Amino acid sequence: MNPVDKDQPYPVEVWTNADDVALVRRMVETDETALGALYDQWSHALYSLVLHLLQDPDEAEDVVEETFWHAWRKASSYEPSKGPVSTWLLTIGRRRALDQLRARKRHREDLTENGATFADFPSGAPDELEDAELSARREQVREALRGLPPEQREVLELGYFNGLSQSGIADATGQPPGTVKTRMRIALQKLRDPRVSGRGGEE
Amino acid sequence: VTTISHDEANAELAAVALDSVSSEIRDAVRAHAAACPECGPELAELESTVATLGHLVPPAQINRGRSAGIRSRLVMRARAERDSKSVPVPGRPDLTRGVASLTGLGYRATPGAQRVVTGENRRVTPAHPPAARDVSDKRLIRMLIAYAAAATLALATAAFQLIRTSGARRTLEHRIAAVDTLGPVTDSLNAALTRKNAMLALMTGPDVAVVPLLNQSATESRGRVVWNRATNDWIVIAHDLRAPREGMVYQVWLETTYARISAGTFTPDSLGKTMIQARQAIGRNALRSIAITEEPDGGVSSPTGPTIAAGTV
Repeated sequence: MNPVDKDQPYPVEVWTNADDVALVRRMVETDETALGALYDQWSHALYSLVLHLLQDPDEAEDVVEETFWHAWRKASSYEPSKGPVSTWLLTIGRRRALDQLRARKRHREDLTENGATFADFPSGAPDELEDAELSARREQVREALRGLPPEQREVLELGYFNGLSQSGIADATGQPPGTVKTRMRIALQKLRDPRVSGRGGEE
Repeated sequence: VTTISHDEANAELAAVALDSVSSEIRDAVRAHAAACPECGPELAELESTVATLGHLVPPAQINRGRSAGIRSRLVMRARAERDSKSVPVPGRPDLTRGVASLTGLGYRATPGAQRVVTGENRRVTPAHPPAARDVSDKRLIRMLIAYAAAATLALATAAFQLIRTSGARRTLEHRIAAVDTLGPVTDSLNAALTRKNAMLALMTGPDVAVVPLLNQSATESRGRVVWNRATNDWIVIAHDLRAPREGMVYQVWLETTYARISAGTFTPDSLGKTMIQARQAIGRNALRSIAITEEPDGGVSSPTGPTIAAGTV
């Protein structure tokens, strides 16, 4: 925690994952005020994600509430070694949003795919109050997304935004399931580490 | 859970991270990854990468009122769940029981004093007088008188000791009774002192922020709010407040970008003053402003009434 702006009425400090971890520990000790604080910190990012997936504000709000309630009930299952608290929350939220998306599709065959693409992602300026590690990682993934070949990007988009299974993506793209699997894997590995090479499915 | 080979699991890691597989395959891969030193960390990294994608989506504004409602519901549900699971916490020691124990100690002292009396009695009581036919009657009578006098003296001494012991016991009982009366007073003073010290500690230190409160036209001071960001304690000190209307109270709101969080309700005293304390954790940078509104008795989940005082961070 480092003061970054001396002109503020009192020191404004960078919120880091250590602060989130402290909140989750308090949640394990059944301190409900920590749940409120975690909501203040991450509800906006979570809502943005699930709204992007569901395209429905009411459903997105339900998923946000369910996600934080799940986090409260399962706070003891969070393991800091597996990633930041925000990753944990966004993973739970995305999974629930995709479950909702799939249930919606089961009931309404006429629904078209979520047309969202990674091109919709804005090129954001770094936030000086954000955790530097998260900020750097975000920029790395954003940069790697730009460098993905179209066929890898397409597979990733169908999986990420629509929750399609590999066979569903194969049907949607007309590609063999094995090719889809390889493209998906290489694309994600490139986002994790841009030094990974290969044109997925073509090697 | 279906068993899966290392190679099969490794080939599915990306699909599992993206949640693009059936639940059967997902469970099998996760079970393998939990024990595999290669697949476990890789799956964690791929999931983290997928989650990072979530940070890149365009920011969307959640309805502030509804967000405040979600937050309130979550905290209330969590509180209700915690309270339903909690067991009664032992209270502070019962002073009455403590005094009863002291009284018991005093009672136990009494037999000891009686034993002293018994000992005294033994010391002054001589052995049985020898019977002697050769001794003249006068001498016998003098001896009997002497014994009688000694016995009387011993009895008087015993009686005196008994009276003195009883007096001491009464004094002790009176003193215990006095302690019994003063106990709650002392306890109350100690508690007040402890509260005062705790409040002073909350209001000082590097983690404390102070937000001034102004009246509606922002021309006059109405108090201040002290926020201890280390302990999440809030102390609202307000003055010159008119009495709320019939059936109404004042409610304190902590306003963040996405929510208005209630920090409690209050009614000022007859001089228009109040000092309330609340515990409410919010992000260190999340607070935007603080407001006091007039609301129906019992408070509301989001502000509806006029703003009486407000302060901006």
